[in-house]
Amino acid sequence: MPSEETNERIMKLVDLGRTVLHYGWIPLIIYVGYTRSNPQPSLIKLISPLA
Amino acid sequence: MLSRLTAWRASLDLTNPGTVENLQKEVKNTHLTNYIFDGARADLSKTLSVNPAFQVTHSFALAQRESTPSYNFGAVFARDSFFIQGNADHDGNVNGRLNQGWSPSNTTKGQLQLSPRAGGNVLQLEHDYQGRDYCLNARAINPSPTDLSGVYMASYIQSVTKNAALGVEALYQRPQPGQDDLNISYLLKYTSSTRDWIATAQVQPVGILLASYWQKLSEKVDVAAELQVMVPPQNPTRRSAVATLGAKYEFRMSTFRAQLDSTGKVSALLEQRFAPTFAFLFAGEIDHFKNSAKVGVGVMIESSSLTPEEMGQPPYPA
Repeated sequence: MPSEETNERIMKLVDLGRTVLHYGWIPLIIYVGYTRSNPQPSLIKLISPLA
Repeated sequence: MLSRLTAWRASLDLTNPGTVENLQKEVKNTHLTNYIFDGARADLSKTLSVNPAFQVTHSFALAQRESTPSYNFGAVFARDSFFIQGNADHDGNVNGRLNQGWSPSNTTKGQLQLSPRAGGNVLQLEHDYQGRDYCLNARAINPSPTDLSGVYMASYIQSVTKNAALGVEALYQRPQPGQDDLNISYLLKYTSSTRDWIATAQVQPVGILLASYWQKLSEKVDVAAELQVMVPPQNPTRRSAVATLGAKYEFRMSTFRAQLDSTGKVSALLEQRFAPTFAFLFAGEIDHFKNSAKVGVGVMIESSSLTPEEMGQPPYPA
C-alpha cells in the first residue's frame, strides 16, 4: 500500500489528467483530423456551420 | 491431447456469436427507443475527408420538454483500425470515444464523459477479444489507481452449437474500499440457421429477466419484441413487466419505425430523405395511460467540402 503522500500525488495527477482531457479532447480530434485529412480542409470550413 | 481437442473444436465449425454488448443490437436497431426525440432539431454535418474519414457535426435542439435549447458540436475521425469521436455541448460537457484495433480479433476501447460539475465524470476502459467461436470482454469504469475502487465488468460468450450461444457476465462494484458487490448474469442467444431471426434471454439473479426476439420478415421489414420482467427477490409481490413490440420499414429514400408498448405508449418515427444530403425527421409519441403526447421535427443536412472526384465518385461524363 503506497503512503498517504504518494496517494495524494497520484490523485492530483489524475485530476490534472482529467482536466487536460476535458479541454483537450475536441481540439485533439480536430488536430488529428485536420493534419491527416486528404485533401486538407480550410480551417474556416472546419469550424463554421455555414461555410 | 490438446491439439486433438483443438482439432475437434475446429471440426465443429462454430461461428462467432457476436459480443455480449451487441446481444440485442438488432432489436435496438429496430425499436425506436434510441432514436426518438421531441421538439425541433437540426443536424448539420460536414464531411471534410472520406479516406481517412473526418466529419464534423453541429446540432441544434429547441423546445424540448425536459431540457433547455442546446447546441452540440461533434467531430469524428476514423481510419482502418483507429476511431476517435467527441461531442461537446454549450454547457461544457464533453463525451468521447476512442477505439484502437490491434489485430482483427483484439480491440481496445476508451470512453469518457466529463462535465464541469463535480461527480459527473465517467472514464471507461475496455478490451474486446473475438475468438473463432467465442468473445471475451473486460472493462473498468472509473478505476481509481490508489484504492482500486470503481466498477469492473467481464463477459464471456461461447457458441455451443451452430445456432445457440451461452454467455455469462460479471459485474463487480466497489464504490469504496471494503465495500463490494458482485452480480452475475447469464445470457442465451439463439440464431436461426438462415440468420433471419434471433432470440435472446438474459437473467440476473437480482430478479431481472430480459427476453427479446427479432425477425427479418423481408428485405425491407424487420420486427422485434422485447419483454422485461422485474421481480425483486425480497418482495416478489412487487413485480413488474414491460413488453415492447416494434417494426422497421426501410424504403429506398426513407425509414419508418413504429412501436407499441405495454405502458400505453404508441410511437412512430419517419426519416425521409429528399436528396442524398437532405433528410427530414418526424417523430411522435402518445402515452395513452398518462394522456400525454410529444412531437418532434428535425432536419439533417450533410454537406461536403469535397468535389465528387475527391469523394471517390466517378466524374460526370463529358
